[in-house]
Amino acid sequence: MIISRIGHYLRAINAENIKEWKIELRYKPDFIRQFFEPFVYLFPYFLYGFALLGARDSEHLKSITGISDIFAYTFVGYLLMGFLNTACWAMGASLRKEQWYGTLETIFIAPVPRWVYVAGMALHSTLHQGLIMLIEAMVIVFFFKIFFNLGGIFISLILLLLMITTLYGLGILVAGLTIGLKQWWVISETVSTLINIITPIAYPLAILPVFLQKIALILPTTYGVMGVRHFLIGENLAISVPAIFLRLSIMLVIWICFGLGIFLLMDRYGRKKGVLSLY
Amino acid sequence: MNVIIAEIKKSFKILLAYPVEIIFWIISPLLWAVPLVFQGKAIIGGLRSTAFGNIAGTEEFIPYVLIGAIVSTYMASSVWSMGFALRDETYYGTLEHILSAPVKPVQILLGKALFNSMLSTTYVIIQLLICILIFGLQFTFYKILPILFFLVLLIAGLYGIGFAAAGLTLLVKEAHGLLHLFEYVLFLFSPIRYPVEINPITRTISIFIPLTYALIALRGLLLNIEFDFWKNSLILLGIDLVIIPLGLYIFHWVEMHTKLKGTLSEY
Amino acid sequence: MANDIIIKELVKVFKKHHTEVRAVDSVSFEIREGELFGLLGPNGAGKTTLIKCISTLLIPDMGTAIVGGNDVLKEPISVRKKIGVLTGGERTLYWKLSAIDNLKYFAALYGVPSKQVKQRVDFLLELMGLKDRANENVEKFSSGMKQKLAIARALIHDPPILLIDEPTLGLDPYFARFIRHFVKEELSHKLKKTILLTTHYMDEADELCDRVAFMNRGKIEALDTPTALKKGMPQEQVLELKCLGDLNKNSFAELKEASGINILKKDGYVYIRINTGNPESLLSRLVDTIRDKAKVLSVNVTSPTLEDVFVYLTGASLKDTQDE
Repeated sequence: MIISRIGHYLRAINAENIKEWKIELRYKPDFIRQFFEPFVYLFPYFLYGFALLGARDSEHLKSITGISDIFAYTFVGYLLMGFLNTACWAMGASLRKEQWYGTLETIFIAPVPRWVYVAGMALHSTLHQGLIMLIEAMVIVFFFKIFFNLGGIFISLILLLLMITTLYGLGILVAGLTIGLKQWWVISETVSTLINIITPIAYPLAILPVFLQKIALILPTTYGVMGVRHFLIGENLAISVPAIFLRLSIMLVIWICFGLGIFLLMDRYGRKKGVLSLY
Repeated sequence: MNVIIAEIKKSFKILLAYPVEIIFWIISPLLWAVPLVFQGKAIIGGLRSTAFGNIAGTEEFIPYVLIGAIVSTYMASSVWSMGFALRDETYYGTLEHILSAPVKPVQILLGKALFNSMLSTTYVIIQLLICILIFGLQFTFYKILPILFFLVLLIAGLYGIGFAAAGLTLLVKEAHGLLHLFEYVLFLFSPIRYPVEINPITRTISIFIPLTYALIALRGLLLNIEFDFWKNSLILLGIDLVIIPLGLYIFHWVEMHTKLKGTLSEY
Repeated sequence: MANDIIIKELVKVFKKHHTEVRAVDSVSFEIREGELFGLLGPNGAGKTTLIKCISTLLIPDMGTAIVGGNDVLKEPISVRKKIGVLTGGERTLYWKLSAIDNLKYFAALYGVPSKQVKQRVDFLLELMGLKDRANENVEKFSSGMKQKLAIARALIHDPPILLIDEPTLGLDPYFARFIRHFVKEELSHKLKKTILLTTHYMDEADELCDRVAFMNRGKIEALDTPTALKKGMPQEQVLELKCLGDLNKNSFAELKEASGINILKKDGYVYIRINTGNPESLLSRLVDTIRDKAKVLSVNVTSPTLEDVFVYLTGASLKDTQDE
């Protein structure tokens, strides 16, 4: 009984994923555009850093992190942040998107829990972001001659998986907020901007003011970025590797439970107030 | 003129219904500048860089970045607000009513544009105050006239881009992607975040973008960097004289084209 | 478990700007297995809210709804497995996907076993006459074809119970006729589905339904077979006048039959219908009343329709729009 139910939900999640690929591929120019977007946001970090230093290597950065190449340092950090879009935008907007298609109520009558649609979008967006990330990585590595420690790739992927799964908690929370809040996107944009500032993407944690450092320690992206950078390009870590895995695992449980809890509450609120069809 | 004022009033009323958005648009450009401040500190280890001074004219990168962020408010406004001005109406289903009213769509667009300029200027003033109070940016009031002079020249040029964007979004179904492209070009190839001289490609393309000259002049005035007042104002004026008629031409052409082909209400 | 619908004292209240609107107000009725049941009322009477409560989209404030033996509050997923929902309006499908992709997607959502999906999709496309267009994007379909595909979607998991909300809304007469015929012959007679159909088209309910409930301002005002409802009228005749001019309810304020007058405006004409036992006497008084306001073009004496019964019972016209 339970196995058949899980099988049903997994099929629904995959159907949601396939449907999104098909719809996205109907808008080809926009589909292609998304592959260029990471470069537009990454290059200013490169060019700005280069303008400040007049070179690619920073002695000061090396003294704090053990890495002098600002391109490699920023690139690895930035690369991972693509998955924040999965949480804040793709998952967050999943129900609103159905509303835009006009199909929200139709799918809500299907015999699967509503988080299944958000999960389907999470799967789709993770695969899509993964593909964008892979192409971005190949282009940057080729043109900017950044060398990774290949032995660190496997453990980096595990860490990445933990980080992404924790971010799903944020994604499902935002999806819940969209049910009741018209201007959910302001929250989503603000949260993603703040996470982008506080996560040590282009600078180490130590540069942030102390209160921001404390906030950074409850963000999965902090551990994801620091850990992956450590395994791939050898950044010195202020926190031990086991501690990174432990904290990220605890955060995963807390974020998912919290996000799902808010989602279920908001879903009930929407069904009680009838706000689903309002926009 | 009445049409333009009516449009401004309408836009103002709509905006007041969304106070959270107002706060968002004010702080968003500043939030974008914050990582650059931290990045600068991380790789320089201080607040001044000689290498930066050699190409940007100032060694202090924080004021440089903040001014870029503030001025970019006008860019976002021209691309997104003007670009989507009429597209939004197609979504609400009101565009055909507007186009069949006895006014020129350009007047409506101009109304929206003026409204957005007033709004952006209000945002910019608040952002400036934030920068003065929090980041210690120095502002010299006696330079207000030349600053306004360059701002007006910049806004006029951006109107040209906005007109073209508004027209093209009616023509192309995937308006969102197109506006992103506009934004990317302005964002990457003008000295909003970094001196474009750092790279031959950015330097070459920036020559054609009005933001480049406005930013050189505004940073020059605000940060006491030496710059050629007349050269920058004349080039900016020249670009405006090309870009505004071009934007209007594109808009008119699209308007006629969509009327002929009847593709207006498609979405 | 019987495939019936039992609704008991169901209440749904919406709060808007500090005022309460009782969209569904203590509604109770039962729909028997295999019955085609019509819910009739003007726009805003609460029909759609009721359907949303039954289909688990909304949580009722009070009362219960048992669908196919499952409580909508306690076992929403089990309820959803048993129901197929069809609504009017076009945007209930993915326009950017083909007909076949739409159906495959919903088959997965409804847990149709993988091995049966192809067979089921083919069967439904054939049934709805969409086989030739199966691989075309839905955006290229006409409104009628979209509605046909929406029916196929509602039937994808072969549900025993169907909730059909204003199925012919906005359709041209050809497709509207097709849908009505399909609901009656195919879904009700042949496939023996339990059907709850809401409509504000009187003829539709009269033609299709085994039993009909009148809903007005959130309440059920009457419930019976169409024949019994019509027989329940105090008089067996209806006087109908076709007029030209500007008439409304106030124009008849002096008449003692004023509350039972149904005024319909159609194609520039005004149709006045009154239930009466003595058409001759009423006609002369009626003509006197409107002499200065309108010109009478023709006079008819007919049997009561369901709409006449509705107006007689509620004092409201089905064409009215109520605040929900």
